[in-house]
Parts: sequence; structure tokens; C-alpha cells
Amino acid sequence: MSTTIDFNALVDAKNGRVTPVIYTDPAIYELELERVFGRCWLFLCHESQIPKAGDFFNTFMGEDPVVIVRQKDGTIKAFLNQCRHRSMRVSYADSGNTRAFTCPYHGWSYGTDGALIEVPLETRAYPHGLCKEKWGLQEVTRVASYKGLIFGNWDEGAPDLATYMGDMAWYLDGVLDRREGGTEIIGGVQKWEIECNWKFAAEQFASDQYHALFSHASAVQVLGAKPDDDADKKLGAGQTARPVWETAKDAIQYGEDGHGSGFFFTEQPDANVWVDGEVSQYFRDTYQEAEDRLGEVRALRLAGHNTLFPTMSWLNGTATLRVWHPKGANKVEVWAFCIADKDAPQDVKDAFERSATRAFGPAGFLEQDDSENWVEIQKILRGHRARNTPLCMEMGIGNEKRREDGIPGITNYIFSETAARGLYRRWADLLMSDNWDEVIERTEAFKAEVLQP
Amino acid sequence: MNTVSLALHHEISQFLYHEMTLLDDWLFRDWLDVMASDIHYTMRTCVNAQTRDRRRSVQPPTTWIFNEDKHQLERRIARLETGMAWAEEPPSRTRHLLTNIQVTPVEGSEDEFDIRLNYLLYRSQKERDETYYAGMRQDRIRRTDSALGWQVCRRDIVLDQVVLTSHNISVLF
Repeated sequence: MSTTIDFNALVDAKNGRVTPVIYTDPAIYELELERVFGRCWLFLCHESQIPKAGDFFNTFMGEDPVVIVRQKDGTIKAFLNQCRHRSMRVSYADSGNTRAFTCPYHGWSYGTDGALIEVPLETRAYPHGLCKEKWGLQEVTRVASYKGLIFGNWDEGAPDLATYMGDMAWYLDGVLDRREGGTEIIGGVQKWEIECNWKFAAEQFASDQYHALFSHASAVQVLGAKPDDDADKKLGAGQTARPVWETAKDAIQYGEDGHGSGFFFTEQPDANVWVDGEVSQYFRDTYQEAEDRLGEVRALRLAGHNTLFPTMSWLNGTATLRVWHPKGANKVEVWAFCIADKDAPQDVKDAFERSATRAFGPAGFLEQDDSENWVEIQKILRGHRARNTPLCMEMGIGNEKRREDGIPGITNYIFSETAARGLYRRWADLLMSDNWDEVIERTEAFKAEVLQP
Repeated sequence: MNTVSLALHHEISQFLYHEMTLLDDWLFRDWLDVMASDIHYTMRTCVNAQTRDRRRSVQPPTTWIFNEDKHQLERRIARLETGMAWAEEPPSRTRHLLTNIQVTPVEGSEDEFDIRLNYLLYRSQKERDETYYAGMRQDRIRRTDSALGWQVCRRDIVLDQVVLTSHNISVLF
């Protein structure tokens, strides 16, 4: 698809301006499906969700349905969930175990390796023969794992997963690599839809600590412990004293290559106010192991927000990991997983699940507030004037730097929009470029500009 | 089928309707008083499972949407009272409709009953946002000397949606 849209005018990251038509325009959305979701590494599922041969998990890459299957040899493949005969889905349960994927329309049947193995009435219906080798399920071009997380990518020309993640891997390790055994997904997936563009959610988790003060005021107020609370207080036990932005030693935002993260430097391994006491205690009990593996800053980093571009986000300490599946320019479907250390005791895993649910499930004390903002914004952007008037994205502009204390990437003070500007720049670079070489060239030029003294 | 008397069925139904009215009328503290001190209030996610898995009773993993004790329900209500609970500001208009109420005495207990019912919860928000929640509820209620004569000590809510079609769940069931 070629385009005449002037993305440089819509995303002026250098001066901190974004025109909100990027959240509403159907033509831009179609281009995103091709050039963002068709090219980037997208989170599919966790290896722990498909432990045995024949286990499958259904998800989406952009709007394309994709089934991930554990092979007989233990490797993992992913396929477009689409029969090659008339485009019907061949796997329709959320997850399970199977020996074959059979299309319910005409009965074409595919092995778990994607090969077309059975065509009803084959010799009668195809007297000239059907070259079954040619009509297997479309395999996702590239599938790769990073410490238990499985990603897929349709683009042969894309950088490998590690290169794509860049410095974001350092931040992601703070969740994935705290303990020897790695992580697993606890329980199922919470799924709900929000009538807003996917970029609101991705940007917030990348860049926006700023909203928490106000958007989540009610939750912090009712879940926060007070100095004279009993030590065994279940909710909020052992949290860092609030407001953390006044007491923290330092606070940073990271933003590069479209990815973003933010966190405060704390003094104790204390998780956020909304986790159960068992979770707080677990972080204290396992602090030394985490520090040995990750260093002090990341071992203490139990309250950070993050987005791996484009649509995987997570919160440190709260155990929520989610994907923002786009469903049109005006709709996103959230899939929230609870991720926790595999070696944690069962009662602690249960507590992680309860805490993640209570804070960040669809009925979560904090989660509720976010969707309300996004839905209202999307409604306002129906207005011609509203969606064509640039938004202010200037926070902390010009203060970006690389640190010398081992915290990697382009950084700024936590209350800034460095990661948001970087996210929209990478997004525009993808839409404007015909291949990954061009994308990387554009992104590097932007980074050099950002870091100019 | 283990039925109870018409009079008892009527009494219990009226209690359940009244309890729902407290929510619809935004009398959340009064509603909280109807929850027993040992209330367990739950909702789990729903999944699309293969029929053969269902036959073999293989349950794909689910997780919680609600998993609350009395203290946590109280905190939810405290949140609504802050004036900054944006998901409920202004508050949703709700109508809780209950039907198919089946009452079963709890074995070995004089004053506890299990209820199974279907519900439809209509939620209207802001100018014209509308959501319907439909599903099944299993309650356990206990006769007490409280204001309404009964309290709820267990509520397991089933919501029939796999993907929730509302942007959040900030209402109670």
C-alpha cells in the first residue's frame, strides 16, 4: 500500500506535537496493520501456556488470528489460523491440546506442523490431483522466544528479536529474570474491549507515570496503608511511603526505538500499595537472589511501567502483562496475563494472581480508571476540529541523555514524554518506510537529534 | 428436585430483589451491610473450551475478575466514595434483573440456603453508553437477625462473555 499521508506533519516528535487524527483515521489504521503489525515482533504467548506436544494457544497478530502450537520435537511454531480452501478458522478454542486442526467448513485437516494432511473426497473432488504440500497453513515467518515469552514476526527483513528489543531487554529482565527458574503464566487470560485506539494504551504504559497521580487517586487513597496500620494489614502491606515522587532518590523514564519504561529508585524491595502482604514478603525474601542476578536498581524496581513496542506492556511488581490487540481504529482488546516467578511457592503465586486481578483486571481498582479516560478521548476525537488540532507532547523536551551509571538507553526524568515522542516517531518511521533498513535509518537520525546537546 | 415452601421461596426472592435495589439506588453502604462478615464474592473469566475437553472435564485455565472478601468489598465502596473513582463518575445507572430463582436448603443447616439464579444487569453510563451483562449466580444466604433478616455469605458470579464487551467492570453484581 502506498500512501500520501504526511506522517512528518502528524507526528512532530522533535517539537512535541502529535495530531490526534492518527488515532481515528481508517486509512492510517489499515496501513498500521500492514506496516506496524506486519513487521514488528509481537508477543504471542508464554511457553508455560503450551507445555506439551500438541498444546495450542490462539491469539492475534494485529487482526490476523494466529495459533501457536508445541511441536512433537518440543519446538514451537505459529500459523495463520485460516484454512487455505475458503479462509475459515481451523482452531476455535482459546487453548487446548490437539492432534490436528480440522476446518469445520469442508473438513480440510492440518497436522500440528501445519501440513495439509486430509482432504475429504480427495480423489473424486480433485481428479487432476491436489498438491497438498503447497496448501499447508501459512506459517508465521519468524518465531522466537525470549526467556519464556514467545514472539512472532511476519517480516523476513526485520532485525532479530534481541536487536529489536535493544535496551528494553534490560528493563524486561527485571520481571523475567529475577530467579533461576524464570517465569510462568498463572491462570487464564482476562480479555476485554475498550472503545479506543490501541496507541492510547501502549503510550501510557511506555511513557505516562504522570496520569497516576490523578487518574488513580481513588485507588491509592483507599488501598494505601497509613503509618499506624498493623504490620499484618493485608492490602498495601509493606509499600513504599507515598508520594513516592517526593521521597524517591531518583526517577527515570527510558524511551528508545518505540519502547518505553519508567520507575522510581527505591530503598527497600517493596512492591506497590495494592499487592497482598504475601507478595510484598516474597519480594523481600527473594531480594538477595534477584540482586545477585540483576543488580540493585532492577532488584528494587518493583513499581515500573513498560511497553515493548508496539503492544506488549507490563508492570513490575504487580505481575500484570498484557497485549493490546487492535480491533479497528476505534477499538482495542486487552488480554491481561498474570506472570510470576516459576519457583515461587503456590500460596505466593495465588497471592500474585489475586493482587494482579484486584488492581489490574477489568474490575481492577486501578484499571477501571484508565479505560474511562481513553473511551472519552476517542469520543471527543469524532469532532473534526478535535482530531485535527495538535496535542502538546513537550514534557521534558530537550532533557534527554544517556546515563553513565549502567541504566541503558535514552533517558529522562520520569515525568517527561521522552518515551511517548520516541514511540510515535518509531510508529511514523514504520509507516513511512518501505523496509526495515529505512526504518532503522530514520530512527537513528531521530535519536541523534534527540541527544544533541 | 429439592424444593422449599412457596412462602420461603417468596421470602428469599423478596430479599434478593431488595438487595439488588440497594445497588440500583446507589445505597452501597447499606448493600455492604447485607454481605456477611465471611462473604466470598467471586467471578472467574470464561473460556472457549473444545467440546471434547468439556466432555473429559478438562478445564482450560481461567483467572479471577472478582475474588473479594468483606474488607475488599468495603474498599471498593470506599473508592466510590472518594469522588475520584472516574469509572463511576458520574455513577452508572443500573438495573439488576433476577430470574429463574432456585432455592435449595444447605444440608445439615437450618438457616442457610443455596440459590441459583440467572441475572441480567443493564448499565447505562455517561450520555448513551449501554452495557448488558448476562449470566448465572450461585449464592449462599444465611438467616440472621440483621435488618433484612438475611445475609449473603457466598456469591459466585458467572458472566457468559469470553471477551468482556464493556471497557471495565465498575459495578457490582
